[in-house]
Amino acid sequence: MGDRDQYKNRVELLQGTLDMLILQTLQWGPQHGYGIVQALRLQSGDMLQVETGSLYPALHRLERQGWVQSDWKQSESKQRARYYRITAKGKKQLASDLGRWERIVEAIGSVMYVEPKESES
Amino acid sequence: MKWFSDFGSQRRERELQEEINAHLQMAIVDRVERGETAESARQAAEREFGNIPLVQDVTREMWGRGWLEQPGRDIRYALRQLRKSPGFTITATAMLTVAICANSTVFSWIDGTMLRPIPGARDTGSLVSLQRGERSFSPTPPFSYLDYRDLREQNHTFAGMLAYKSNWITVTGGAQSERIYVGNVSANFFNVLGVKPLLGRFFLPEEETRPDAVPYVVLGYSLWKTRYAGDPEIVGKAIEIARHPVTVIGVAPEGFTGAAPGLRDDAWLTLNPLGTNEYRLTHRSGGAVWLIVLGSLRPGVSRDQAAQDVDTQMHHIVAAYPDDHLGDNRITLDPMWRSPFGANGYMAATLPVLLDFAAVVLLLTCANVATLTLVRFVSRRRELAIRQSLGANRMQLVRQMVLEGVVLSIVAGAVALVLTSWTSKTFAWFFPANSIPLILNGSMDVKVVIGIAVFSLLAGLLCGAVPAWRSSHAPAIEVLKAESASVSGGTHNRKLLSGLVVAQIALSLPLLLCSGLFLQTLRNLAHANPGFEQNHILTATVGLNIAGYSDDEQRVIRHKILDRVSALPGVKVASLTDWIPMTLSHKGEDAYPDGYVPHPHESLQVYHAEVGPRYFESLHIPILEGREFTPDDDEKAPRVLIVDQTAARRYWPGQDPMGKKLRVWGIPFTVVGVAKNSTHMFMNESPVPMVYMSFFQLGDETTVQVKTEGNPANLAPAVEDAIHEIDTQLPVFDVRPMRESTQMASIFAVMQSALAGMFACIGLVLAITGIYGVVAYRTHMRAQEIGIRMALGASRRDVFRLVLLQGSWLTGIGLALGLAFALGLTRFIARMLFGIGANDPVTVASVVILLGGMSLIACYFPARRAMQRNPVTAIREL
Repeated sequence: MGDRDQYKNRVELLQGTLDMLILQTLQWGPQHGYGIVQALRLQSGDMLQVETGSLYPALHRLERQGWVQSDWKQSESKQRARYYRITAKGKKQLASDLGRWERIVEAIGSVMYVEPKESES
Repeated sequence: MKWFSDFGSQRRERELQEEINAHLQMAIVDRVERGETAESARQAAEREFGNIPLVQDVTREMWGRGWLEQPGRDIRYALRQLRKSPGFTITATAMLTVAICANSTVFSWIDGTMLRPIPGARDTGSLVSLQRGERSFSPTPPFSYLDYRDLREQNHTFAGMLAYKSNWITVTGGAQSERIYVGNVSANFFNVLGVKPLLGRFFLPEEETRPDAVPYVVLGYSLWKTRYAGDPEIVGKAIEIARHPVTVIGVAPEGFTGAAPGLRDDAWLTLNPLGTNEYRLTHRSGGAVWLIVLGSLRPGVSRDQAAQDVDTQMHHIVAAYPDDHLGDNRITLDPMWRSPFGANGYMAATLPVLLDFAAVVLLLTCANVATLTLVRFVSRRRELAIRQSLGANRMQLVRQMVLEGVVLSIVAGAVALVLTSWTSKTFAWFFPANSIPLILNGSMDVKVVIGIAVFSLLAGLLCGAVPAWRSSHAPAIEVLKAESASVSGGTHNRKLLSGLVVAQIALSLPLLLCSGLFLQTLRNLAHANPGFEQNHILTATVGLNIAGYSDDEQRVIRHKILDRVSALPGVKVASLTDWIPMTLSHKGEDAYPDGYVPHPHESLQVYHAEVGPRYFESLHIPILEGREFTPDDDEKAPRVLIVDQTAARRYWPGQDPMGKKLRVWGIPFTVVGVAKNSTHMFMNESPVPMVYMSFFQLGDETTVQVKTEGNPANLAPAVEDAIHEIDTQLPVFDVRPMRESTQMASIFAVMQSALAGMFACIGLVLAITGIYGVVAYRTHMRAQEIGIRMALGASRRDVFRLVLLQGSWLTGIGLALGLAFALGLTRFIARMLFGIGANDPVTVASVVILLGGMSLIACYFPARRAMQRNPVTAIREL
């Protein structure tokens, strides 16, 4: 049970960000779960290793929310796989996620790099 | 259902397995390409993937249970939230239950009376009742048989037109004679109403006016069940009505009680069963106007078209027989829910107003519950903000909060449903013992259940949606920031809260004002002088007519009754009459005063009653001129008349009415006296000319009227015994004090003031608790600010004034709005008031002072609490 809670917590902690990352990845074209993991790892220079325990719940949830759709297709290596594709709704969500993300980065940035003021007035 | 979801989840389960397999397969292929051995690649891929069953498990949780899952979760969440604050939940549910029950109860009464005017009829929506002449609240039957027949045959807009007239009669020929209400009906009566016989048949066209040696009768279901034990072989058997043999030809189905809304017919005869109605069937005036007519509109015909049509036909009839149709002959049509024949005329004038009151109570309750909900949401705003920042969109939040309101109101609706099944039957309580075959009561059918559902849903939406939308509007970031910025839940919420309190005060003021006016009306009615003595009078009806005694027998028996009852100890005066005032009944007839030229369309109808010698003396009605009737005013003497002041002034203005002649039923009467005006139907009636005729000349049914020395009720057994000493078979009914009979005239005032009073009490409590709650809450929220003010030197009195002022402002605005609202509304009830103006300044002032005073008291407690608080703790607490 301990393991399970650990996974669940991670899903929730990463939820907003992971969604954004997945949607961003799918912007370049339909992709299967394994492909998304690889893409994220490559893009982030091996910094982001997405747990499958977070990825698959996230994908299934995104599908239910209507932000992605899935189809079964053959991969280049003749492997039958489930391909996820971003929807118009998903694209809108991505834009708003991105906007929020930028504001948070900016806000955190202004906190972290604040320059001491000259006077107290 | 189960099967489907299993099927779906099996497929998804398989796909998930396949998806994971594909993932692993691709990872292995990649590793093998990079030069690993197949075996180590598989192990590495599996290690990298992690715990497969666990991944499946958490993924599966995302599927949910399809369409059922989301609302299910919302409802569970709502229930959990409501459980967390039982005080709120119980209070809100109780208030909503009372409000919904008030509405559904009044609605069940409307449903049982106005909306089901003729139980058992096929389509009461297409039925209309015809009124001739001046529109009246309680008209007398308006048509003669010949006029009715002409209209029936010549109209182009009715699928059918029936006529009836109901009267008491006695079923004899058993151990016990029994009084029943029997309708004389046209042959098409059942056909037009769409009623099919349970047994046997109904009347044939040729039987409509034909007298029969052994007349035919159709029994009502309950008479058949009770008196004849539901005998399945009853058709064709002979029974006895008014000591005449009649043959049963059919039994009406269960529930059908005739065509007069609210009144119960027990059996039906044709129009001339014994041949005694010959005159009434061959004349158009002079006592031949006796039928109530209902019509069933043809499909696609509007009421207006039909009214125009019959009005035109009536014009032709009037043109052909002008002498029989003096006065006003315009025809108006009423749908059955407000038909003036039967009880619905009265119901339509009373019940909708009560439903309006109940609706105001519901609105008021919603405002109150919304206040509570809003306060709760404001204190939950952090939770809501967190959920919003976790990705819940506003619509979801609103939905969830509305759901809480809906859950509350559904529970309240369910409780109200149970309560209403009982309260709907309380309608009959309003009617005192009387001589009318009333079958009025509320009903609890599917319409009421739908009504309750609508009321609850409305309440739920009003209670939940407004505060929910408001609360969810607050930007999440703002709320999550330091508490202090939004201590009182933001300006928007504060405004909404104030608005709700103002609304509650504004809504309760009209309720209080109306109930104040109704209560005073009731008091005025109780103390009003109807113009006759009713305290020491006992009346008893002896059904000589309806039991079939001949005229000669009746004459003898009446004199015997007078002699015996007069001789009883405790009896001051005994007299005879065939009418008791203020019992919702009257007899009307067209009268033609000699030498009087009516205005065009002037109604010539007068009320009449046949009264015996010493009638006026025993009722203390002064004879202003001339004399009372004497025993000599009998059949052999010339017909005489006593008129009241209204009749005298109307027909002979500025002249002496004594000796003047008046023609009724074509018979000339001579005026021998003028009586002072007294009340006929209601205290607030507009006076109709009244003529009294001599009982010994034209008396109809015999009612003994006794003036007693002590309590009239004590004399009832003695009077009844004295009558039975003459003949044990004499049917004696309705033996009761006059005071009790005349209560019928104020039942509607009682109904109105009882309900309005109840509603006003609820309104007052709601408004007071509402303003108390909001002021207390806001004071609580401002505790820190108040603490700072006090720390900075504000005195306790300043704080007290601050809080009180805030409450007074709200009260003041509420009172001002409520007053405007109330004064606009009271003119709608002006017609129902008696002895008091619709905007009576004293009542208005008292109500405003009461509501204002109670509100200030409600504000006083939070103000005192704020004043007594220690400023240091107040500051520290937050």
